[in-house]
Amino acid sequence: MARLGTDKFVVEREKEVATRLSPGVFPAGRQSEWSAQNRTLTHSVHPLTNSVALGVAGKQPRELLKTDVRVYEQDQRVYVCGLGTMPDERLPFVNDTHAVFAAIQSIMDARGDHVGVDALLRMSALYREAMLRQVRVLQDAQDSEFVRSENDVFQAMHAVWHLLEIVYVTTNAGLSASVVPYYMEWLNFNFPAPAAADGERILGSSPDANALAQNSDVWPYVQKLALRGHVTTVANMLERIAPAQALSAAASRWARELAQTARDMPLGSSDETSGSFNGRWRRWNSGLQSMATNMGSMLDKAEDAALSALLCVVDVMRGDADTISRVGETWQDVLGAVLLYSEPTAQTERLPALAQLVLEQFEADDFTLVDRTLAALVRHELPEFLVYCNQIDAWLSAHVSDLMEHIGILDSCRRVFKVEPREHYLVALGERYLTHEGLWRVAMDYFGLCRTRVSQSIMGEYIVRMPLESDRKAQQVLRVCERYKLTEASERVHRQLGRQKWQRGRLGAAIAHFVRVNDSSAVGQICDQLWAEYLASGLLTYGPIIDSVLASSGHDRVRFLTQYRDFHECYKAGEFARAGKLLLSILVGEIAPIHAVPDLLVDSIPLLEGDALVFGADDTLELMRCAESVVFVGGEEGGVERDELSIFSVACARNLARSYVMQ
Amino acid sequence: MNSLQVQPVARKITGIRWLPPRAGNAYTDTDLYFVSGSSAKHKELVLWTTANPDFQQTSDDNDNVDAETSSPLATLVAKVKHDGDVHDIAAPASDIVATASSFGTISIYNIGHTDSGDSSLSLREAVTAHKFANGEPAVATSLSVQPTNSADAEIASCGEDGRIAYAPISRLDALQRHEVDSTVITGVCWPMPTQLAIATRAGQVKLFDRRAPAEVQAVFVDPSNTYEFECIAAHPSQSFRLATGTDTGAVLLWDIRNPKKPTMEAFNVHESNVWSVGFHSSDAAKIVSCSEDASLAVTQWVSDSDRQSRGVRHLSGFFNTLSVNCFDVCPFTRTSIIIAGSDSGNLLMEKTAASDFAIY
Repeated sequence: MARLGTDKFVVEREKEVATRLSPGVFPAGRQSEWSAQNRTLTHSVHPLTNSVALGVAGKQPRELLKTDVRVYEQDQRVYVCGLGTMPDERLPFVNDTHAVFAAIQSIMDARGDHVGVDALLRMSALYREAMLRQVRVLQDAQDSEFVRSENDVFQAMHAVWHLLEIVYVTTNAGLSASVVPYYMEWLNFNFPAPAAADGERILGSSPDANALAQNSDVWPYVQKLALRGHVTTVANMLERIAPAQALSAAASRWARELAQTARDMPLGSSDETSGSFNGRWRRWNSGLQSMATNMGSMLDKAEDAALSALLCVVDVMRGDADTISRVGETWQDVLGAVLLYSEPTAQTERLPALAQLVLEQFEADDFTLVDRTLAALVRHELPEFLVYCNQIDAWLSAHVSDLMEHIGILDSCRRVFKVEPREHYLVALGERYLTHEGLWRVAMDYFGLCRTRVSQSIMGEYIVRMPLESDRKAQQVLRVCERYKLTEASERVHRQLGRQKWQRGRLGAAIAHFVRVNDSSAVGQICDQLWAEYLASGLLTYGPIIDSVLASSGHDRVRFLTQYRDFHECYKAGEFARAGKLLLSILVGEIAPIHAVPDLLVDSIPLLEGDALVFGADDTLELMRCAESVVFVGGEEGGVERDELSIFSVACARNLARSYVMQ
Repeated sequence: MNSLQVQPVARKITGIRWLPPRAGNAYTDTDLYFVSGSSAKHKELVLWTTANPDFQQTSDDNDNVDAETSSPLATLVAKVKHDGDVHDIAAPASDIVATASSFGTISIYNIGHTDSGDSSLSLREAVTAHKFANGEPAVATSLSVQPTNSADAEIASCGEDGRIAYAPISRLDALQRHEVDSTVITGVCWPMPTQLAIATRAGQVKLFDRRAPAEVQAVFVDPSNTYEFECIAAHPSQSFRLATGTDTGAVLLWDIRNPKKPTMEAFNVHESNVWSVGFHSSDAAKIVSCSEDASLAVTQWVSDSDRQSRGVRHLSGFFNTLSVNCFDVCPFTRTSIIIAGSDSGNLLMEKTAASDFAIY
């Protein structure tokens, strides 16, 4: 449990980003003049991406000013600035790691409580491969400040992730697995030393053993090799140096012996029991101790530079803390040598204590951000570790917190942070991805796979603000809503699409969308618009539009329009009886809007006056009843014209009479 | 699931098409060319080249190769900016490419190859084919080239404004437009040189005679299901067979010999919208489709009494999680190569050796 001393805890601070507008809004240095001329900047933030639109505005409206102000070209510009956008170079990395992230979530879902360590290890390795691929791509790219800083970021991320994997995932696999070989592998991969170029230089400039022995760089080089556990190379170097004339007989002998001892360094194998390994190692170590004592006593008698350098190597390899601290340059070096040469079977639990001892020897103020992050990790101070990760990169903190959650170690952070850390970092990463047009779907996945109430609601807000530029994009947005069960967002999107199509004159499609969300008032309005168009033009062209609206819509107005169209077609085809029945069913069913009933009644006049008897007595009475109710309701507007009403009444009376006669 | 080879290209690829081999080099082309179109942040047309697998000596095209191949699948040769998102590409000849854009324009690009081996893409002309009634540009959703060998072949496009438009490739300004549907038209194809077929979002397939395109010749609907169609393709030789893809992941195979009673068979091969569908160019007994569920499917719809029975093969890549937007099967090689583009910013490829041809 971390101590919460305020001096130790880290405050999360957002990095400030600043952009200079160019070409500028006012000449350099003349801001107060510009401001005095009633000018200021106004802005608007984009709902989705981190971009801001800026323009010049007046502090007071122009109309209220006493003297008019001249308008310059700069005043009429609108600047759009992107802040903290995702660079294109990261796209392959983003997409690859998104695939791995999604795979981890589905693995974890499938396994339930069985934390599949093998699977996590595989996924973790895939993450690291993606980082290394990105580093390779950056190395091929043209050098620039951006490329260099990206390179640093990715190498830092890899180092951090690799150590996290070792400390929490790899060593989980076996109960008695030692962390030391993995730590050395990590150290030598991420912070390689000594540089191979140095070794080549030394060997290249020294053609024979004598020159080699007298090369001033060779002993520090060998010491560093020993520090890093490159024992075979140490042995090789010593064997090359040993035959040198420049060395004393004793030094030469000890060099050869040390070479042999280095080659004999015991390496653990998976078959061997820890007991037998410990035995071998203790024997090896005591051999080195006696070597050191002998060499030390020789040095007491006579000065020998080569011999004292050799003694230094022996001291390192026998685990002498002081020598190791002297030779080591960074705390990672020192910790590695301490682990390798004094506790080769140490397990992860030993790391915090050992690390503390090592770290105390170094000035914390000189630490880089990566050092601080690694130090926090090694000391198992997870909240601090997460915060530092976030300062390295948003990607790192999001995926680290996700991995920690799946391993089960995020709880210690939960007690310290005010917000849920995994959700906070995943949502932040998602928002970062939204700044890039092509990554909206990836961002939605991050919000969705976060699976908390907060992330769901945030996702719901963002998805309805997605620009729906094309039909295909709209389909994809709707699929996202379906996948993550955002029913309310789905409805809002349908409404948006309906309005969009309405404005564009695609009425059939608009009706289909509004029917989906059961917005009967919108459907009614569109139907009214179709009806009004028909009345205006006199041509019934809305037929295909209505047909394409899926028949499953039970909306009254749609049915009215459909039946009216059918009536029209029967009438044109001369099937008056059928036409009459349809017209009557529309009126009786009361599916027609009030303002349309008079027109329907007018339509019935030709049928009433026609040669064949279309409407029987009851039907005619129905028609008259409809007419009465309309006149009653109508009043000034919507009522039937006086003339038409009288014609209609006469036609009805005549038809009624005819029907009685015929019956 | 078989795995696809993946090449990240940092662009959302929404259109892809193989180019016919260059004149005179038909049988000795060691390099194949294809064009891809991208959308969203970078709207471009890119010309790629890839080695012709028919000429490869090594037999390492096993599809168990790791996604992290050391050599890229295709190399970029030329690129040009495109006005608007690329929604579809057609390649009528080896030096012309036509695109349908999100601004409703059909554009023709020339491909030039110089003797020194450089290539270039350049815009020749563009015409606005689709607009809404209120003046806003409408997305042109699909393009298709008339399957005729005449020099004056036409290109037809369909758009979100419910219109089809067609023009001779050589004279785009002679464009004619007809409004034929009240919803979005999602796909167009030519079953015959004189017939057009469209698929709409309202679940209808409509046929038009090229000579009288304003009138609908026939409409096919499946009344028992409320499908929404996303794409349509015509069988290369049997003009009465059409394939459509739906928004729920089914591929429908239509037989419209009897226009009053068309028969239809549904293959539920995908889990989400089928963006593109097509009959395999060398084996029309297979239908290839790509979908929002990030996979391609090869469906064998004809059961061959000797060999394969009906079935479906799915292709996907681990590092490709987002929608596969478009694909094309190379009609010029014996080895079947399918290339596809996805929203994950990847080029996808699958090569399968041709099955032995029966000698007759």
